[in-house]
Amino acid sequence: MSLLPQVRALLDRVLAATADPAVRDALTDARRRLDEPLRVALAGKVKAGKSTLLNALVGESLAPTDAGECTRVVTWYADGPAYAVTAHLAGGGTRSLPFDRTGGAVRITLDRPAEQVDHLEVRVPSARLRRHTLIDTPGIASLSTEVSLRTTAFLDADADRPAQTDAVIYLLRHLHAGDVRFLESFHGDDLASGTPVNTVGVLSRADEIGGARLDAMDAAARVAARYAADDRLRRLCPVVVPVAGLLGAAGATLREDEYGTLAAVAAQPMADVVELLLTADRFAGSGPGRREVLGRLGLFGVRLAVRLIRERQVHDSADLAAALTAHSGIDRLREVFAAQFVGRSEVLKARSALAVLDEFLEPGSPPAAEAERIRASAHEFVELRLLHLLRSGRLPGPPDQLAEMDRLLGGAGGAAYLRLGLSAGAAPEQIAAAAREALARWQRLAEHPFSARELRTAARAVTRSCEGLLAATA
Amino acid sequence: MATDLLAELAGARRLAVAHDRPDLAERLDRASAQLRRGDVTVAVVGEFKQGKSTLINALLRTDVCPVDPDVVTAVTTVLRYGKEPAVTLRVPAGDGSLEAVAVPFDELHRHVTEAGPAAEGARRPHSVEVRLDRRLLGAGLSFVDTPGVGGLDSAHGNLTLGALTGVAAALFVTDASQELTAPEVEFLRRVLERCPAVFCVVTKTDLYEQWRRIVELDAGHLAAAGLDVPVVAVSSFLRLRAQARDSTELNTESGYPALVELLRRDVLEAARAGTRTAARAELGFVVAQLRERVVAEQAAAGSPAAAATLVQRYEEKQRRARTLNSWQTVLGDGIQDLTADIDHDLRERLRALLRSGEELLNESDPRDTWEEFQAWVAREASAAAVDNLMLLVNRAEQLAAEVAARFDLEHESLELDLPSPEPGLGKVGRLDVDFHRSGMQQFLGAFTAARITYGGFYMLGAVGALFNVFIAAPIGLIAGLTLGRRLVKQERERQIQQRRQQARAELRRYVDDVSFHVGRDSREAVRRTQRLLRDEFTARAAAVERSTAAAASAVRETAALPDEQRRARARRLAAQRAELDRLA
Repeated sequence: MSLLPQVRALLDRVLAATADPAVRDALTDARRRLDEPLRVALAGKVKAGKSTLLNALVGESLAPTDAGECTRVVTWYADGPAYAVTAHLAGGGTRSLPFDRTGGAVRITLDRPAEQVDHLEVRVPSARLRRHTLIDTPGIASLSTEVSLRTTAFLDADADRPAQTDAVIYLLRHLHAGDVRFLESFHGDDLASGTPVNTVGVLSRADEIGGARLDAMDAAARVAARYAADDRLRRLCPVVVPVAGLLGAAGATLREDEYGTLAAVAAQPMADVVELLLTADRFAGSGPGRREVLGRLGLFGVRLAVRLIRERQVHDSADLAAALTAHSGIDRLREVFAAQFVGRSEVLKARSALAVLDEFLEPGSPPAAEAERIRASAHEFVELRLLHLLRSGRLPGPPDQLAEMDRLLGGAGGAAYLRLGLSAGAAPEQIAAAAREALARWQRLAEHPFSARELRTAARAVTRSCEGLLAATA
Repeated sequence: MATDLLAELAGARRLAVAHDRPDLAERLDRASAQLRRGDVTVAVVGEFKQGKSTLINALLRTDVCPVDPDVVTAVTTVLRYGKEPAVTLRVPAGDGSLEAVAVPFDELHRHVTEAGPAAEGARRPHSVEVRLDRRLLGAGLSFVDTPGVGGLDSAHGNLTLGALTGVAAALFVTDASQELTAPEVEFLRRVLERCPAVFCVVTKTDLYEQWRRIVELDAGHLAAAGLDVPVVAVSSFLRLRAQARDSTELNTESGYPALVELLRRDVLEAARAGTRTAARAELGFVVAQLRERVVAEQAAAGSPAAAATLVQRYEEKQRRARTLNSWQTVLGDGIQDLTADIDHDLRERLRALLRSGEELLNESDPRDTWEEFQAWVAREASAAAVDNLMLLVNRAEQLAAEVAARFDLEHESLELDLPSPEPGLGKVGRLDVDFHRSGMQQFLGAFTAARITYGGFYMLGAVGALFNVFIAAPIGLIAGLTLGRRLVKQERERQIQQRRQQARAELRRYVDDVSFHVGRDSREAVRRTQRLLRDEFTARAAAVERSTAAAASAVRETAALPDEQRRARARRLAAQRAELDRLA
């Protein structure tokens, strides 16, 4: 039996044997979560660009964004049959709220002080939200302490409340690489139950690095690579993707008139264009519609778009939208996202559900033993736990070996070709051959008397993963 | 203005030499040296990647401070005036002192960024001094480019704060991409406690069309926090572009002229005013000392009959001045209290640190949290050291004021006790009044925190490096597969306890180390303060006594002169008086 049905069956059994309404509520909730999309939170410091990134990921201007601090209540964006906003109150209970969509974003008017609202749920008919629900959080380190505390409370998986999220996307602005201290303010271990296996880092507002010059994205890629190579940061999030959220959002929603505005600028003589694009102020004040375009694309986006149009690399708004999306890095984030979260959603969800069960089960009782058994026997869990150890730097071994182990355990994504490091179109025979080769190699390691004990145990788990891959091709 | 004052100081010095008072001449030399140097330091602080180095480049229209989208400044850079451009590294030598190493100008970039020779194993310089010929520097300003602070509440941030004691102003740099964050405002608050003038500079206004709103929001946050910090918005990019195009218009748009004006008026002029007041007060003291003798002599020249009484009075004054030393008691008691309080304060802070550290350790597994914990401890320890220093500075200044007040009081009572001079000397008597008071004030002006700043807590960096915990090998890798989960749990629990114990011992050792280093440094700073105050007031008392003695003997001498000579002397004295009156 695969993982989810086992967990589901266990939950049902426990539920049937429980009378306490509070426990029943919690368990019912956990049971329902198993069948819902994966919950992914966007977290990070204030003004890191969380709402903008959310818009870029969904491909629609949903979350309101502003130059000042904007998101003040935790807001869930989930797939639904029609647009609807529900407020979940702090004391329990829900109520639907009116909202306003002029200008695209869903602007919600709260009918009560924000602290009385636990979170808002926005239903959106969107294919992009079908497999995961995105959760926008207010920034950490906000000057309004209240806002900061609420985010911490929401993400914090402390003893009396298992995490509400299954996975986390952390947004970092450009920061000092050799600087552990920023991990403190950004905290890894308990907060957001972010472990190296369910966290992806995003170097956000990448377009602003180095003064929004046209090589900004290259600089951002260098920075991200440096982060990824940093041991201490890797413990928090093993992958860091540079993303220009503004470009991504604009690429997804570019309008014809905006293209027209940009094309008109590009058609001017070079000297004028240079002068216009010198500062944000100049461009914004130079003609109708330009301030809005600047607000949507940012100075880097405008500079990039004008150059692309001038150099005839793009010819219409569709071209430009595609180019903006390509430059934004959002596609790469989607890939990573799919590999890290979506492909692993079953085990992440099962993990969340078992965490809820742990709260209520008597240690040593038959259901608790069953929960243990699921944990110990499900190979997905073993892989997850090993990945965690591996990425926390607690496994001995040469770096190449560890990197291969990470990949085989599904660290780069669960698909067979990803695990084996092959290209996407690899033939089944090719996959089988590679899997057999890896299996033999790791078997030797697992049995080698000179391997460290931890390595032998880990290698045994890796051989299981290889066997799984082989079985799938057969 | 400064040149006038210098001329006056020189005039007074001539008179002091003429009256055979090398002690007073030396005081004047010191005052004019102080006035001439007039180096006013401005520190540039803030989170990294906010454009601090670019700000300095743009202010000075140069490109000395390396700027890169990725690499950050790692070493404090001081920019001062110098006719010839030069770069000097201050490298820590083995014995804790700093060694000056001159390097070629074009190698500066290599030395101050992260990837510098330090990364290749060479000793990282403690700071770098760059000399440049720039108008703003020539006017007497110098700038300190601080390395970006990762998380303003970090250990590094605390050390930056420590370096602020002694600078005249600080520019806090934040960019227009977002409003101020909570840590930034907290950092600003602490900067403001240490530094008389702080300005919040919003950079990169060229990149964000919404910068006016950000400036508005920032000003609002500062007002809400009750911080009196003016906000200035600038675009370094436009300033440098303006230079390239030689365009006044762009320069104005960049916002820099306003910042330069602010630096000149509110920083440079204000600091200058302080040094001038101090120099003027010193001048007043010296003139008063010189005048005492001239006045007495003049009186004797006017009425030789009164000479005997005058001599008697001056001798009486001299005798009593010698017995006056209650300021010494104030100083001695004050230093004792101060030492005890500072010591107690440090111990209290470290005890609190130890306590909360142990609490933290009890709540977590040191294996997972050790790095964060280390950073936390370093941060808290440096905060303790910096706050302790702050207390020391405040208390020392207070003590100096008390001693000065006591000294004034004593010598004033001395004056009041002198029998009122004869009718012919009425004017003299009036002029003679409170010279000591004016003399004292100047000392307080000159006694700035800078004099007792210690470099000791830089040691913390070195102490921090000693700090490590042996991390036990991982157990039960794939727990469920190898051992019973319960067994593993117990074993794990035991290991966690063991690690906690180890970590607690490390923590205590670290706190002991910090206590030792910081304690030693602060005791040394207290001793320096004591010496400084004692020497200053002893010298002053000696000067007063010497003036009195000189007056007495001059009176005797003048009274004994034959009439003819005495009248000539009276004329000369009148001329000297006139000159002294002009100086005072």
